[in-house]
Amino acid sequence: MKFFFLTFFPLLYLLSSSPVMADEDLPKKWTISGTIRDASNGEDLTGATVFVTELKSGTVSDFYGNYSMTLPEGHYTIQYSFVGFRTIQKKVFLDNNTVIHIELSPAAETLNEVEVMSDQANKNVARPEMSTFKMDIKTIKSIPSLMGEVDIIKAIQLLPGVQSVSEGGSGFSVRGGAPDQNLILLDESTVYNASHLMGFFSVFNNDAIKDVKLYKGDIPPIYGGRLSSVLDVRMKEGNSKRFEVTGGIGIIASRLTVEGPIWKDRISFIVSGRRTYADLFLALSSEEALRDNKLYFYDLNAKVNYRIDENNHLFVSGYFGRDVFKNDFAKMSWGNSTGTIRWNHLFSKKLFANFTFVYSDYRYMLGTPEGTTTSFEWNSNLRDLGLKGDFSYYINTNNTLRFGISGTYHMISPGVAGGTGSESSYTEVKVPDNYSLETGIYAGNEQKVGEHWTFKYGLRFSLFQNIGPGTVYNFDSLYNPIDSTVYPSGQFYNTYYGIEPRIGILYTFNEKSSVKVSYSRTNQYLQLAQNSTAGTPLDIWFPASPNVKPQVADQGAVGYFRNFRRNTIETSVEVYYKHMNHVIDFKDFAQLLLNDKLEGEIREGKGWSYGAEFLVRLSEKKFGGWVSYTLSKSMRQIPEINNGDPYPAPYDKPNNIAIVANYQFLPRWSVSANWVYATGNPVTFPTGRAEIGGKVIPIYSDRNAYRYQDYHRLDLSVTFSSKVNEKKRFKWDINLSIYNVYDRHNTWSINFVQDEEDPNVTYAEKIYLFGIVPSVTFNFHF
Amino acid sequence: MKRLIYSTLLIFLMASSCTERIDLTLDETYTRLVVDGGISNDTASYQVSLTKTADYFYNEPAPRVVDATVRLSDGINSYALHETDPSVSGIYETDSTFSGIIGETYTLDIDLSEPIDGETNYSASCRMMKVARLDSIQLVLQPDWGTDGVWEIRVFAQEPGDEVNYYMFHYFRNDTLMTDSIWKVAVSDDKYINGNYINGLAAVYINNANFWETVHPGDKVTLRMSGITREYYDFINQVKISGINIPFFTGPPANVQGNVNNGGIGFFAAYSNSWASAIVK
Repeated sequence: MKFFFLTFFPLLYLLSSSPVMADEDLPKKWTISGTIRDASNGEDLTGATVFVTELKSGTVSDFYGNYSMTLPEGHYTIQYSFVGFRTIQKKVFLDNNTVIHIELSPAAETLNEVEVMSDQANKNVARPEMSTFKMDIKTIKSIPSLMGEVDIIKAIQLLPGVQSVSEGGSGFSVRGGAPDQNLILLDESTVYNASHLMGFFSVFNNDAIKDVKLYKGDIPPIYGGRLSSVLDVRMKEGNSKRFEVTGGIGIIASRLTVEGPIWKDRISFIVSGRRTYADLFLALSSEEALRDNKLYFYDLNAKVNYRIDENNHLFVSGYFGRDVFKNDFAKMSWGNSTGTIRWNHLFSKKLFANFTFVYSDYRYMLGTPEGTTTSFEWNSNLRDLGLKGDFSYYINTNNTLRFGISGTYHMISPGVAGGTGSESSYTEVKVPDNYSLETGIYAGNEQKVGEHWTFKYGLRFSLFQNIGPGTVYNFDSLYNPIDSTVYPSGQFYNTYYGIEPRIGILYTFNEKSSVKVSYSRTNQYLQLAQNSTAGTPLDIWFPASPNVKPQVADQGAVGYFRNFRRNTIETSVEVYYKHMNHVIDFKDFAQLLLNDKLEGEIREGKGWSYGAEFLVRLSEKKFGGWVSYTLSKSMRQIPEINNGDPYPAPYDKPNNIAIVANYQFLPRWSVSANWVYATGNPVTFPTGRAEIGGKVIPIYSDRNAYRYQDYHRLDLSVTFSSKVNEKKRFKWDINLSIYNVYDRHNTWSINFVQDEEDPNVTYAEKIYLFGIVPSVTFNFHF
Repeated sequence: MKRLIYSTLLIFLMASSCTERIDLTLDETYTRLVVDGGISNDTASYQVSLTKTADYFYNEPAPRVVDATVRLSDGINSYALHETDPSVSGIYETDSTFSGIIGETYTLDIDLSEPIDGETNYSASCRMMKVARLDSIQLVLQPDWGTDGVWEIRVFAQEPGDEVNYYMFHYFRNDTLMTDSIWKVAVSDDKYINGNYINGLAAVYINNANFWETVHPGDKVTLRMSGITREYYDFINQVKISGINIPFFTGPPANVQGNVNNGGIGFFAAYSNSWASAIVK
């Protein structure tokens, strides 16, 4: 703490005060600030560019559309621009603090006027952030879908450096990191399980989402708690000008979003819902056992947005989702709920602040039908309560300071199981609850020096404490539990801390090309007890503790960015190296479910990954897309696993290619395609066999010494839209998507089985999830 | 409990995935000794089978280990096992008067005539755990489960609360053993039932569609409930799941952990039995 104050305040003083000089000699500085919004619906625009032509520099709007620039007195031409919108240019004579609010209009479909392409369309070159990708919702919607639902998590797996972990699943691996090393945020609340139906769909309903940004590295100091990436998803605020309804009807699921003003331009709301009816298909199944099964999910997003006055903005948002599965002798349900209350406050023209209260809940239940002596139920949940304060201080055009503090209280109940009903033969078994507090304090500055250099430097200090009531088992050197220590309520019985520097340097050669370097250190205090290749909803998060050290990662990256043809072609190459300490894996045949001695199943060691990522992105008016290629390696080395020899991580796929393209070939017709290719997953295969009790059992090789066959797949989609007529409010389109067009049976897993006729004969059997899957969706909007 | 989770997820999976047989080329590994056998507290003749490992697609019965000297010891007495059946080699039997004593630790000692993996001497030890008394069993048909229904063998017994127990279940139909291979054997721990009176919990499920193992009204069904060690319980579970990879819930494949030393594979088990019979109505 002392460290923070000793460096922070002198830094602030140095950067904001001018050298001692006579007042008259100094040109006076004034601040231009304001909010940038979408003229059609009042939504705040995040990351809109404000560019001062005379100074060849500027700023971008923050998450709430606010911007601030402090410039010397004088005449300026300021360009306000944002991708997909018409640029606005304003001439200003700055002799006072000025507030300019801007509303940008979406670019019309048929554009006859010349569109002013702002220089800042080269954001990928000129901004000092690297290893990040901002996904725009329109792009996500144009990607061919699986079963009619396009989602963010599938879309980011098409980016360089992001690998899927298992087909259909929504776990993803960023730069060789584990799926639990990604921080997924929805309006600043952590989402612990971002998947529905085992991962075939994600919890994000595109119609309610405004903004998605993925950080693969170069993670800003405001984020902490996960090693490998941050997926920051922001919901729309709701149309504050008029009612708007968007929806879609598909084969598997349907969705509806209603948004509108409660008080025009002041209070708006948005409510979005989605439900599947996949169980209807089970009713048609040839397996009689499946016909009565229930299998569905639903989710609901809601938000109210209140612009109290120019300096105060209040947001209340929530998400609620559930998956339900039920058959004759089992039922299962799980889901996330999140709620956030945020107050965005402008202390001055230069100092913006955001205060957030967050509640997040993930729970699941598994059981047998009630009413018998053998009825059984198992419940588990994880709850977070958090408070954050984030500040942005726009000192002058060359310095933007961001600092803040956050604290999250984690309450985890790993599992309570037992019989229901008074006649039960089952006693209750409970894995003790655990409580912990995760705190972070950060400060960072982005400083522009001269015309070519920008330096980003920051520090995050993180603190993690285990708090009683809690039970900690003590293990001997062979991981056998010896005894346990019980801590009373309220006692802080363990503390870990981390000092996480985040540094980046940008050098722009010119408007079209730049080179960037970054280094970041991240700590992770909460991890997932997940042993299977694909995650299940039953995986449980567990905290660092006296027996489990926090994971730590150091990542360095270098990249070269180059744009062509007026920024319509973006190219980049990034090379990274990541080293992780205290990564976890589990012993052979680990028992993760309902195990109060779970910490005895963990083995820790180190991991490292490195790679090169190439991206070429094209964005013309009618044609767009990208090609990404990642060459990478991800290894682990853990003393008790694989005899202590290094082995490939489960998501190590040396070659990964994605080609995404969409083309609007007629005003009402567009087509899009994507082709993905990845080296097969590493796998452990048998190299021998033994016969025991009539069963042939495999004798295995070194861990992950083999690979499945390479994975590749082509998806196509065609969309037919309603007539482009500005006056008609009702717009619709029909989308036909075909997943896996050439019906490749990509291996999902391989089992080794004994032939039923001749038990001496064994053979390998491949399980594949999807053949060719077509789907049709009808979307509407008014 | 685990069975519940696995079967739930498996059913969901069946609805969505497809399987096909594939050709695969695999490497080879060095040969190891495989030990498979067990004794109990009932008086009978017990068998221990000694075989060798082979390449994964060997597709023949396991190569047998003959002419080994096999002895069984409880620390005081030593019993010799002999290859008694001339038509089947590699099976070593005790006398038919042998019975194990609850609480004793039995060690199987093997001296090979030819070394395997550089060793000629292998051994395995197991303690014979006691088992609760089975009061009675009940056969109940669940007609709606599966394709033709499922028979449950329900258990009535008092579970001892003062210790951690592991159980193994075998059943006989008209005195013929039905659970003749390891994947038909059911095992359980006592986590949820410790100290309770077991009031009709099903221990064994019999798929009525499998005509060779199902029961009919009039059959005499006998349940043999055995008290086993934790190691044998883990071993049986590991054997049952080996070779199966379902990305949702199996972890990375690993070699089963037996109790044979010097790199041998398999288990020599000792357990005590409790019996009960019922006539199917």
